[in-house]
Amino acid sequence: MKDKQFWIIGAAITVAFLIFWMLGHPGFNGERIVMFVAIVGMAGTLIYYIRIAKRGDSFFLRTIPGLKAVEEAVGRSTEMGKPVLYVPGIMDMDQVETVAGVIVLGHVARMTARYETSLNVPVSRAIVMKAARESVREAYTLEGRPDLFHEDIVHYLTDDQFAYAAGVNGIMNREKPAACLYMGKFYAESLILAETGNSIGAIQIAGTASQAQIPFFVTACDYTLIGEEFFAASAYLSQKPELMGGVKGQDMIKAGITIVIILSVILRLFHDLGWIGWDVLNFLTVQ
Amino acid sequence: MILKRHIPILIVTVIGLLTLFGWFIEQPTIQAFVDDDATQWYDILASFAIILGAMNLLKMQGRKVIKQQEGWGYSLFAIGGFIFSILAGFVIKGSESVAWGTHVTSKGTLFKWMFEFMFTPLSATMFALLAFFVASASYRAFRIRNFEATLLLVAGIIIMLGRVPIGSYISSWFVMYILVLLIGIAVNVKFGNKMITFSSVLTGLLIVTVAGMLTGWPIDQPGIFYLPIIQEWIYYNPNVAGARAIMIGIGLGIFATSIRYILGIEKSYIGE
Repeated sequence: MKDKQFWIIGAAITVAFLIFWMLGHPGFNGERIVMFVAIVGMAGTLIYYIRIAKRGDSFFLRTIPGLKAVEEAVGRSTEMGKPVLYVPGIMDMDQVETVAGVIVLGHVARMTARYETSLNVPVSRAIVMKAARESVREAYTLEGRPDLFHEDIVHYLTDDQFAYAAGVNGIMNREKPAACLYMGKFYAESLILAETGNSIGAIQIAGTASQAQIPFFVTACDYTLIGEEFFAASAYLSQKPELMGGVKGQDMIKAGITIVIILSVILRLFHDLGWIGWDVLNFLTVQ
Repeated sequence: MILKRHIPILIVTVIGLLTLFGWFIEQPTIQAFVDDDATQWYDILASFAIILGAMNLLKMQGRKVIKQQEGWGYSLFAIGGFIFSILAGFVIKGSESVAWGTHVTSKGTLFKWMFEFMFTPLSATMFALLAFFVASASYRAFRIRNFEATLLLVAGIIIMLGRVPIGSYISSWFVMYILVLLIGIAVNVKFGNKMITFSSVLTGLLIVTVAGMLTGWPIDQPGIFYLPIIQEWIYYNPNVAGARAIMIGIGLGIFATSIRYILGIEKSYIGE
């Protein structure tokens, strides 16, 4: 799609929605319009930057040490002749963090296939097992090493949180992996896993959006991908322009949100001082 | 190609858009699908998938036992536990007065016995390990290596003391005396002159003592030196500010990732 067509379609959708709104917007929850506009605006920004990236424009993306260290960790395992342990969290595929973890697993699997390093992926959900297995299979095939792939690379342990932690700890203590990667959604077992990995001297990289577990990973792991860094991992590791464009768009949205926060604080201050009657907090609060 | 690539992307796009915009549409069928049906579909799929997981577990552990690989004894326990759970769940109730189905939660049944006296203590043991891991992790985090680690240590001590009963018995005047001594250390590091250090510490001690005598040494005044108040400020201001910044980043990351899936830009989940 050319730029002109893109903008025409964008404008047409906007005009169509405005007409729909003025006609009384039947079936649309009018109380949630602010949220709707925000979602459409953010999605539009992402699409815009993805288009720019696809066109060939280059972006500066700051280096994330944790992502650079992934290849280093796999290299270390290769040199030491020990496996790489990859833990995609304890939740199911309905969590976006698990999906992101499985995607990063695909990139890690490509590296292990390239370096002929063994990979061990214990999972706690059967659906994650199937998805992760497909991802690893594709990665080995893409690297031209389908012969190195076997189904037991990704294996199921248990659905229970602490039984899973016990199982993974057992694997760590028996196999002594040189690198442990934790990428997904974690709860209280995060520290149990990371401290055990620390005790066996493995290089550890964690990535999660579970806010309460971030301090534990920061303490016990060598590198931690915090929140959005974890979701940007796929773009960094693949270096695909369309994904890099998405990360740039994300940064621009963040800048926009910062401006909205500052303006809202000022407007709220004016409201509290009685200078204006309009309450920005009521406007922004999701109904 | 169509089966492995296009159809999965189409499913993700349609269901993703429906779930996203379903929140804005006042249509009972769509809302019921978004709120209930979709998650129930997922639960049904996951229930069937558990069979695959169980088969995989038995295959892996069984092979270890047959080939007598390292640690095969543990695999015997795993297989034994699996078979025992199946028997307790589907074959042996252990109590005739309890109906099938309710036997998993009723007292006196084999399943409930297994849950209470085997599963729960084992889970609790793993959870209890966390206390020791927290201690070792805290030791590493609180070691004074640089400014940030020192800040973490000080904030950690204040939060810990301020949140326990003994913290409210520590007078703000005691904290002020400690602060005067700490300022003395800083002055000594900065100037390296004993006279300046001595006079600054002496002045500080005098000011605190005179102020204390004039006000009658109230334990919680001035509030900014009272540990429960300081910890509350740290907890609800710098801590919440940092946490919210991370939350905004996480929310944005989830949104951007979801949009990439919905629009078919991110196709790594199908191996591309």
